[in-house]
Amino acid sequence: MLELASYEGRHRVRGTAIATVAIGGFSLMYVVLFPTFAESLGGDIDALLAAYPEPMLKAFGIQTLASMEGFLASELYTFVWMLLLGLYFAYSAAGLIAGDVERERMDMLLSLPVSRTRVILEKFASLAVPLVALNVVVPTVIYAGTVAVDYPVDPVDLFVLHAFSIPYLLVFAGVGLVASVFFDRASLAQRTSLGLLAGLFFAESLLTGTDYEVVGTVSPTRYLDPNAVLIDSEYALLDAAVLAVAAVVLVALAVALFRRKDIE
Amino acid sequence: MAAIEVDGLTKDYGEVLANDDLTFEVAEGEVFGYLGPNGAGKTTTIRTLMGFQSPTAGSATVLGYDVTDESELIAAKRRIGFLPSNPAFDEQVTGREILDLHASIKGDERREELLSVFDPPIDRKIRAYSTGNVQKLGLVQAFMHDPDLVVMDEPTSGLDPLMQREFNEFVDAEKDDGMTVFLSSHVLSEVRRVCDRVGVLRQGRLVTTERIEALLDRTGKFVRVRVAGDVAAAAFELDGAHDVACSTTDGGSGSDGDGRESPDTAAVTGEPVTECTFTFTGDVNDLLALLAEYSVIDLDVEEAPLEEVFMRFYGDTDA
Repeated sequence: MLELASYEGRHRVRGTAIATVAIGGFSLMYVVLFPTFAESLGGDIDALLAAYPEPMLKAFGIQTLASMEGFLASELYTFVWMLLLGLYFAYSAAGLIAGDVERERMDMLLSLPVSRTRVILEKFASLAVPLVALNVVVPTVIYAGTVAVDYPVDPVDLFVLHAFSIPYLLVFAGVGLVASVFFDRASLAQRTSLGLLAGLFFAESLLTGTDYEVVGTVSPTRYLDPNAVLIDSEYALLDAAVLAVAAVVLVALAVALFRRKDIE
Repeated sequence: MAAIEVDGLTKDYGEVLANDDLTFEVAEGEVFGYLGPNGAGKTTTIRTLMGFQSPTAGSATVLGYDVTDESELIAAKRRIGFLPSNPAFDEQVTGREILDLHASIKGDERREELLSVFDPPIDRKIRAYSTGNVQKLGLVQAFMHDPDLVVMDEPTSGLDPLMQREFNEFVDAEKDDGMTVFLSSHVLSEVRRVCDRVGVLRQGRLVTTERIEALLDRTGKFVRVRVAGDVAAAAFELDGAHDVACSTTDGGSGSDGDGRESPDTAAVTGEPVTECTFTFTGDVNDLLALLAEYSVIDLDVEEAPLEEVFMRFYGDTDA
């Protein structure tokens, strides 16, 4: 067991290392910049923000920029982590099956004495490499950075936020995986899942308070709030559970579709 | 028990009926050639046998296992080697990594022996492989777990003539060891030396299954002969010659205005040249005796194209 996962996982190490260095470095830059930013603008920043329309602040997850926690929650977690990294996982997952079908490598893989369920689950499992690496390295870098610049964040809040972001990112990956089974071309699977997820991300905030607010309930973004976790230490366990269940359902759907699929 | 049993197998893609009610068996220890022109539906049958797609109707077993039952098929695949028509591997890894992955799942007791026969550059990345090398790597992985049945889609395409001979000898040796081989081809001459029996597929339908010798006796040769002089088509109407067509060129115009030499070597002598083409299913000695009466300039004798064979013996089923 797990031969396919370890084979695929090994080939994710390089990409993961690059992503980890990039996002880790980016995070560190935010942390180091914050004191200058806070000390030059002081409390004025939130007064300034009040001038912006509410949906826009919500879209960017901005609650307050006056504290390190608020700053990280909006600038780093909402945008980089929840949107960009989420799309990275969707993109990677969308290539898992469609990429092999498109390049005719799937025949070779399925000629091995392995079940289709095992093929798709082990391929999906290879995403654990970036998922674990990023969720261990980045919070460690952030915590160390905030301590170093003397604006320490609560390590427990940070840990909880990253723990919650795992089912969140898996939902994004799950959407990519379903698309990957549904479409026979990787680029099509990737474009479709990225378009859908980016649309849902913005719909959740922009549609709040409108007649279409209900659309936001199917957006994964609604179920993870970095501001609540980092600023208020509020842990929405139920929301995290919703994300976990959604991830399982999406993967199960992808497995069911793949088992019935004619590989062409 | 037959190594492969296909019963009423049908695959309908909607716009095209790729396999239409196919029924045949491949015996254990047999080398079976699955022949047909491109687009006849050979790959469709193979993909169904390997469980990549499910049949619209009918059933099939490999090594006694039902191909539509995944757990049965997995048991069968432990003892099956497979080579797709267009083997593809991850581009960014080496051949060795590919073989290691396959070995970790299905075993590789014959890897070294196979590498000494086919010898792909296993320490190079796949993206640097030529088509022939990809094919060789495909052959190594197909046989390395010492399977009882090997299914190959167009195995000789992409191999140079030398490698093709190696392949034939290899398959012969495997046959002697009791291995069952199912291979497809659209070129009869490439597989005639290794096959015991062939099934001929045309437009999704099986037109015949027979011993290879019987088929070869009937397919005949395609003959193109150029002789000096003005010869009438009737001259080649001997027993076993079909569709004789002749054309005579006047040798007077040896070169054209561009100063280019005509490829007709006899033309420069100013004599007319006759080119005749026909399919020949008779005794080769009769043909040679007849040709001896002429001054032959050029002679091509090749295997009749499969498509032509079908037209002659099985009729055009388009209507």
